Amino acid sequence: MSLVRNPFKTATLTIIWGWLIVLVLAPTLLVVLVSLMPENTGQLLGGELSLSTLWQGFLTNYGQMISPVYLSVFGHSLWIGLITTLICLLLGYPFAWMISRASPRLQPLLLLLVIIPFWTNSLIRIYALRTLIATRGLLNDVLMNLGLIDAPLRLLYTEEAVIVGLVYMLLPFMILPLYAVFEQLSRPTLEAARDLGANGLATFRHIVLPLTMPGIIAGVLLVFLPAMGMFYVSDLLGGSRHPLIGNIIKGQFLQANNWTFGAAISVMLTLVMAFLLLAYYRSVKLFKREVTL
Amino acid sequence: MKASAALRWFSRCYLTLIFTLLYVPILVLIGISFNDSRNPFVWGGFSLRWYDKLLGNGNLMEAALNTLWLGVTAATLATLIGTLTATALYRYRFRGKPLLNGMLFTVMMMPDIVMAIAFLALFIALGIQLGYFSLLVSHATFCLPFVVITVYSRLTGINPQLLEAARDLGASEARAVWHVLVPALMPAIASGWLLSFTLSLDDVVISTFVTGPTFDVLPLRIYSMVRLGLKPEVNALATLLLGLSLCLLLISQLLLKEKK
Amino acid sequence: MQGTRFPLRAAGLMAAVSLASVATSAPVLAADDSDKVLYVYNWTEYMPDEVIERFEEQTGIDVVYSTFDSNEAMYAKLKLLDSDNSYDLVFPSTYYIDKMAREGLLQKLDVSKLDHFEDLDPNLVDRDFDKGNQYSVPYMWGSAGIGYNPDYVEEGALTSWNDLWNDKYRDKLLLSNDMREVFHVALASLGFSGNTTDPDEIKAAYEKLTQLMPNVRAFNSDAARVPFMQGEVDAGLIWNGEVYQANQEGVPVEYVYPKEGIILWMDTMAIPSNARHVDAAYQFIDYLISPEVSKEISEYVGYTTPSLAAKNMMDPEVRDNPVVFPTQQDLARGEFQTDVGDALSIYQKYWEQLKTGH
Repeated sequence: MSLVRNPFKTATLTIIWGWLIVLVLAPTLLVVLVSLMPENTGQLLGGELSLSTLWQGFLTNYGQMISPVYLSVFGHSLWIGLITTLICLLLGYPFAWMISRASPRLQPLLLLLVIIPFWTNSLIRIYALRTLIATRGLLNDVLMNLGLIDAPLRLLYTEEAVIVGLVYMLLPFMILPLYAVFEQLSRPTLEAARDLGANGLATFRHIVLPLTMPGIIAGVLLVFLPAMGMFYVSDLLGGSRHPLIGNIIKGQFLQANNWTFGAAISVMLTLVMAFLLLAYYRSVKLFKREVTL
Repeated sequence: MKASAALRWFSRCYLTLIFTLLYVPILVLIGISFNDSRNPFVWGGFSLRWYDKLLGNGNLMEAALNTLWLGVTAATLATLIGTLTATALYRYRFRGKPLLNGMLFTVMMMPDIVMAIAFLALFIALGIQLGYFSLLVSHATFCLPFVVITVYSRLTGINPQLLEAARDLGASEARAVWHVLVPALMPAIASGWLLSFTLSLDDVVISTFVTGPTFDVLPLRIYSMVRLGLKPEVNALATLLLGLSLCLLLISQLLLKEKK
Repeated sequence: MQGTRFPLRAAGLMAAVSLASVATSAPVLAADDSDKVLYVYNWTEYMPDEVIERFEEQTGIDVVYSTFDSNEAMYAKLKLLDSDNSYDLVFPSTYYIDKMAREGLLQKLDVSKLDHFEDLDPNLVDRDFDKGNQYSVPYMWGSAGIGYNPDYVEEGALTSWNDLWNDKYRDKLLLSNDMREVFHVALASLGFSGNTTDPDEIKAAYEKLTQLMPNVRAFNSDAARVPFMQGEVDAGLIWNGEVYQANQEGVPVEYVYPKEGIILWMDTMAIPSNARHVDAAYQFIDYLISPEVSKEISEYVGYTTPSLAAKNMMDPEVRDNPVVFPTQQDLARGEFQTDVGDALSIYQKYWEQLKTGH
């Protein structure tokens, strides 16, 4: 490491810190501040600020969350997020692997083919999906014409439909980071393992899995977190019968005009996620340490 | 050898299957856009009337162009800063790393609505007029963590000695990064850019709050068009957007091929 | 070294372009003082382009048109804008007028300045949510009642809100994803006002709604006619405009005015207190309630014009269609939504409990 001052490093750090402080820290602190204000319907920054009112606000807003309604919605959202992430992982992992093994000319094309549907507005795609699985939709039409079913399947407005929608929306977010790490996995490494006598499964467990772990973590993060907040998928495909935490927050802001409580739920959601991810990360680190090449 | 042939055949099938699943709704969409009947469940015959109606709508076209431009610039900005951030996090030692990570994480976690209102309040407080600029920085910010995560995960797989070698040979930090790191990171950088572009194109909530009268964006228009009653022009619009994006892609591919 | 997919130069070029665009779009202080400009903030897809263009040609005023998709978003935006960056004309729904007026967001109107005000249906002006039209002028209105598919439900089976609770509609009903509307149905079925702030009444409505839940297939967030089209539901809460449009598209949906009274909604025009071009706003309002224009807008959006003169100009088929234009009695029995103030949080609490099954 050179001891000479590094202008590039300084410039880089300045830009990064500057951007994040102004555009992330400041707004975040604002949100936390709002979550600590006593119920102040519709006002973003009204009312006097004193330590006692902040404490009052804290008790009101955060205290409200300890109730069967919110706890069950939290739990339900976590569950849906988990299933969605799992399915994305199961579908996306082999997919990314296969793309990375295709001919180099083909790879960018295949990646783009994955992404391109997502340049159509996502809302429109959910509508198209809905048209497909509706009671009078295309899928039921085809199945009935083929004689496979007698009566149309009621697929819409179920929890399963919501999961299908979420997976459909979030799959590329799993595929892309996985592809980025798979692409790094060089053939020589794999062949070396095989030459040394490792069979497929052992190679996978001891070499491929640990090396692709960062990609898996990235993919999981990029899928799990948004899944909790996609309220329009739950609305359109689930008939709003099973709200996710994102729906609740939206309701607080846009229906109840209770911004302070909405902010509090958001802060709580962030903290819960942080906790879960920390736990996950710690366990993965342990896993990695056991595997030394 | 038989095993690997079987494996390849299986790969092809699997890839085809997943691609089909991804594209069926899109194809349905495109099909409906040519449907003469307003009712998507009844085929009324082939027709271009929705495209006609669409192209006659000057406002919508302008919003579409705005959205594309915003997407490209926001994605690029996010990728720039995101790559710098990922590199800095990985390579340098400096104080406050947990804070940095925390901030990135917060952006990812924060629900759109909350971020939207926070941004709005920020811009008002700073006296920044709402329009393209406010949208640009908001979009770049919320895309940032996606880029950082994608690039960072790739960084962990790069041989650190590569960069040291360059430095030892006398290259300045900037040159070392540009000529050694960036090419090695390219797939991740490209993935990050694509992710950001996609996110920006789709954003409704943040745009609602942060844009101003001078810069109308498409997702907003689509969201309401769709909610107010499944206007068939929307399908035509989606198909057109798709076609446009494909064209842009083809063009960029051709340009790059020539350079090589 | 592993794949360089794009030449670095291309990446560098893109970076340069983006930075340049950031620099050149840097905030410029708003500098428009001419009187010939009007900033309008309306619902999306709520005004045909030709209407705006003709106004611009006739008056030489440049209309800068922005849109929102919910009252709440509009309200939030308005609260955070100051006098340098304001809108001149907004389109809130009835239950926001009272709230916004009380909070000083709107300025008082002088309807004598509007030539076409007398053309408006007397049943629609001077109503509870804005007595004397001090702050708002009607733009478009409609009702929410019971819709049903005549292929599956006999005529006359549904005449009251209470009929929806019947077991034969298990898993067959549609409700809108609108908290106030759904509670309005239950409150009306119990004989209460849809705008009550009495916690006991709201609680009673909630308990009644829990009994309705097994019948509810879905809460719909968008065009209500679509689930009917899709064959997902047989009956439910629906807006008259949706029924009208469905019928135009050949989808069989019938509309019923329940005997307890329909839910009336109206979108109105109001001038924010920090508007900068008030005269232009008045001109635009007058233009929009003039018969030809109001008729044109009504035909475009599928909802009802508040102008009697416009109604008389319409096709007899439309004019005499009870779905589009209810009878006087139905109109009188209907109830507009007004602001419920702090009671909103009580509604919200029960709504969330209803949705999550508690």
